[in-house]
Amino acid sequence: MYSKKIQALLKKKKIRIGDRVLVKKIGKETEGILMPQTDAGDPETLVIKLDSGYNIGIKFRNAGIEKSGTRQSKAGKEEAEYEMGKTRKEILKLKFDAKKPAISMVSVGGTIASRIDYRTGGVHALEDPREFLHNTPELADIVNIKRFVSPFTKMSEDMEPDDWIKTAKHVAKELNSGMKGVIVTHGTDTLHYTSAALGFFLRNLTKPVVLVGAQRSSDRGSSDAGMNLICAAHAVVSDIAEVGICMHGRMDDDYCLFIRGTHARKMDTQRRDAFRPINEYPLAKIWPDGRIKIKNRDYRKRDDKGRVELDAKFEKKIAMLKVYPGADPDIISYYISKGYRGFVIEATGLGHVPTQARKSWTEVIKRHSKDIPFVMTPQTIYGRINPSVYTNLRILYRESGAIPGGDMLSETAYVKLGWVLGHTKDMEKIREMMLTNYAGEITQRTLVGTFLY
Amino acid sequence: MALDYKKLGMKCGVEIHQQLATRHKLFCKCSAAMQDKEPVFEIRRKLRAVAGEMGDVDAAAAYEMLKNKVFRYKVYLNETCAVELDEEPPHPVNREALDIALQIALMLNCEIPEEIEVMRKTVIDGSNTSGFQRTALVGLNGWVDTGFGRVGITNVCLEEDAAQILDKKKKSVTYGLNRLGIPLVEIGTAPEIHEPEQAKEVAEKIGMILRSTGKVRRGIGTIRQDLNISIAGGARAEIKGVQKLSLIPRIVELEAKRQLELVKKGRKVTRDVRKALPDGRTSFLRPMPGSARMYPETDIPPIQITEEKIKQIRKNLPELLTEKLEKIMKSYNLNEEIAGQIVSSGKTELFERLAGISEPKTIANVLTRYSKEYKIPDKKLEEMFRAIGKKQVPKETLEKMLDALSKNRPVQDVVKIAGDMLSEEDVKRIVKDVIKKNPDVMKAGRPEKALMGLVMKEVGGRAPGSLVMKIIMKELKTSFS
Repeated sequence: MYSKKIQALLKKKKIRIGDRVLVKKIGKETEGILMPQTDAGDPETLVIKLDSGYNIGIKFRNAGIEKSGTRQSKAGKEEAEYEMGKTRKEILKLKFDAKKPAISMVSVGGTIASRIDYRTGGVHALEDPREFLHNTPELADIVNIKRFVSPFTKMSEDMEPDDWIKTAKHVAKELNSGMKGVIVTHGTDTLHYTSAALGFFLRNLTKPVVLVGAQRSSDRGSSDAGMNLICAAHAVVSDIAEVGICMHGRMDDDYCLFIRGTHARKMDTQRRDAFRPINEYPLAKIWPDGRIKIKNRDYRKRDDKGRVELDAKFEKKIAMLKVYPGADPDIISYYISKGYRGFVIEATGLGHVPTQARKSWTEVIKRHSKDIPFVMTPQTIYGRINPSVYTNLRILYRESGAIPGGDMLSETAYVKLGWVLGHTKDMEKIREMMLTNYAGEITQRTLVGTFLY
Repeated sequence: MALDYKKLGMKCGVEIHQQLATRHKLFCKCSAAMQDKEPVFEIRRKLRAVAGEMGDVDAAAAYEMLKNKVFRYKVYLNETCAVELDEEPPHPVNREALDIALQIALMLNCEIPEEIEVMRKTVIDGSNTSGFQRTALVGLNGWVDTGFGRVGITNVCLEEDAAQILDKKKKSVTYGLNRLGIPLVEIGTAPEIHEPEQAKEVAEKIGMILRSTGKVRRGIGTIRQDLNISIAGGARAEIKGVQKLSLIPRIVELEAKRQLELVKKGRKVTRDVRKALPDGRTSFLRPMPGSARMYPETDIPPIQITEEKIKQIRKNLPELLTEKLEKIMKSYNLNEEIAGQIVSSGKTELFERLAGISEPKTIANVLTRYSKEYKIPDKKLEEMFRAIGKKQVPKETLEKMLDALSKNRPVQDVVKIAGDMLSEEDVKRIVKDVIKKNPDVMKAGRPEKALMGLVMKEVGGRAPGSLVMKIIMKELKTSFS
């Protein structure tokens, strides 16, 4: 963004961003298109796109600017317009094939459904499924994106439980309107929280709900968005009636993994193959050419019958904590004083918290566990909580009332606890529900080949 | 018959790509040395034609072209990280590279933008894993002077080198990622060259300026020259991969002639990319593509260049090689050939350091000729020369020493070979002695000749003949005066 001073001057001179201008400064003249300044640049510096295509910055101090008399080339103008987020006309002529399976796309944001908007330095959300088709023409051979809904668009890190509920509502509505399935485009950072939430919120699911994101922006030829979308389209017409995440399986542009929503985790800040299945095999490997290899037979089969039921009652006053050497359990008292009603605690190893230490978490848990659930999950990420092999574990789980989270991911347990507390405040019922498998979140067997899959 | 290029309306521009000798790559901390021998693994990728990204290239054609193409990328342990693999955003720009590029821009009389914007230039041949090349304009509106007049420098860009093509098949192309990301400057002149010889002069001059920094890579593949040539009524031909500067006038001449022939026959000259052949001819490579789309690299914040920064770089601009050459010739009384070899070997500093200690001609010889033959690191040579000091060593002994040094014998042992040598004082004593013992010799027609024979018998190869002769002449002078 330019400074207020520059903006006022541009307005006075009726110069708009995208105009061809002449900037004069101590004997030098620079001609080109006035571009927006990104939020990372200096607001007092004009950005000019030269005819060579290069942008350069000119400090506005002691400079004059006026509209240039010369005409901008057509290609140059289109270039600048596209850079500023304008959808090209030819994109709007594209069409899906009505004979292909009808599906809906629910877009709530993310790199996969956006373009950089240089006017704001932020992102510009794609608003039309045809824009996806333009980037990824293969989609038309697989699905007919009949409806496109975007209830809101948010950066992944800004998502809140209310957003999960809103998303689930729209997905349920689309599924119940006769679609073959729903693709949800979403930012990647908290994608696995949303996928877990949809897993619990959507009951009697008989069709696939496929969440998809991208780690590389779609402005580049190397973007993973295209292949992820193509594989997601294959997933959404498959017979796997589960909520899952479909993204790159490896660094190669080879296949995607379709991972159950309650067993997926973002395991790298930047890689294409950041989403990995934890403690279970992916549901399937999906290739862009449509091949699907089932890797885990434990899934619901599509039968397209009945209505999906939305069950999104949720208690937001819950917190996720992590123990570590020196961690002070007083933090629990603080949360309780603020009205929190349940905790997921990332425990060490098999499910430990400091028990016989100077500051005993076990004692604090014991003090509150009659009214407040404490669910233990493994901070090792992989593996399962064991409530009985060591004395301290027995003290924590048998005598102090902590709930062992099995092999549930912390993120999944957090979403589940909110969902369970949305349904009951009865401690026995809470315990029973936390230990019951609702969305494939707890596995019965630890398969060794799933480690670091 | 020579062509009248003015009449032809010949326009020519030169474009030079030169790798910079930085330790690290432009946008990550990978080594830029290209030393890894074997790749550790390979990844396979595809590229997609993206909406609006193709510039003038037909998007549908690009889509078809890329649909079935697989790019294989070889990963090298020390020279590839997640950045080259397009799995991690670029790190901040390498400041060492930026400083060198700014230095080059100033040496080419360019203006430096106050804010440098890194751009993404669309590349869809797979030579960059991201699908674009990162490039930034760091200098514009510069010039170089030639014997034919001034030629404008339109751009100095700092950019990342592309991956190196290793194998090409119908459906797949294999690239090595070790070269991807090595800092590169691209220098383009205005189409203001109007004579074939001038094109060569411009290329030579820019090359000389680049080497003057002492911070550019040397060797095969580290510099690439392209030419843009057109005549009135013809069309711009881009000629890629000019191997030798001496070929440039011939290439320009032949291209002007080629276009002239077509114009004369009334045929349309198309805008082509052509490949330079070793004999100065060119062959058709492909039609000239439209300009690549260029848009901001939002992962790298714009770089502010302050006046102080420019002042500081301007203050420390290196001496030009041509100036250095003159200085060395004068200061050490060397001929142009030897001085030229020192300067172009990039060992000027080492030479100047040693020339104060030992005999300049010997050092010049060793640095330019022997060091290649014996493959001895400069550091060891320097150590040896420091140990020998002023002592003069005959050619045969020097070769013996270099041989020992190249076989990794310790410097103190090597110096012992020279240690058997006689000092100037020793030789003087022997000469005096011989004269005393052979008074008859002094009466001969050319006493120095006879003396030389007698003295050399005594010296027995422990001193260079030139030194012995010098001392004899001196002694003769004093005894006759």
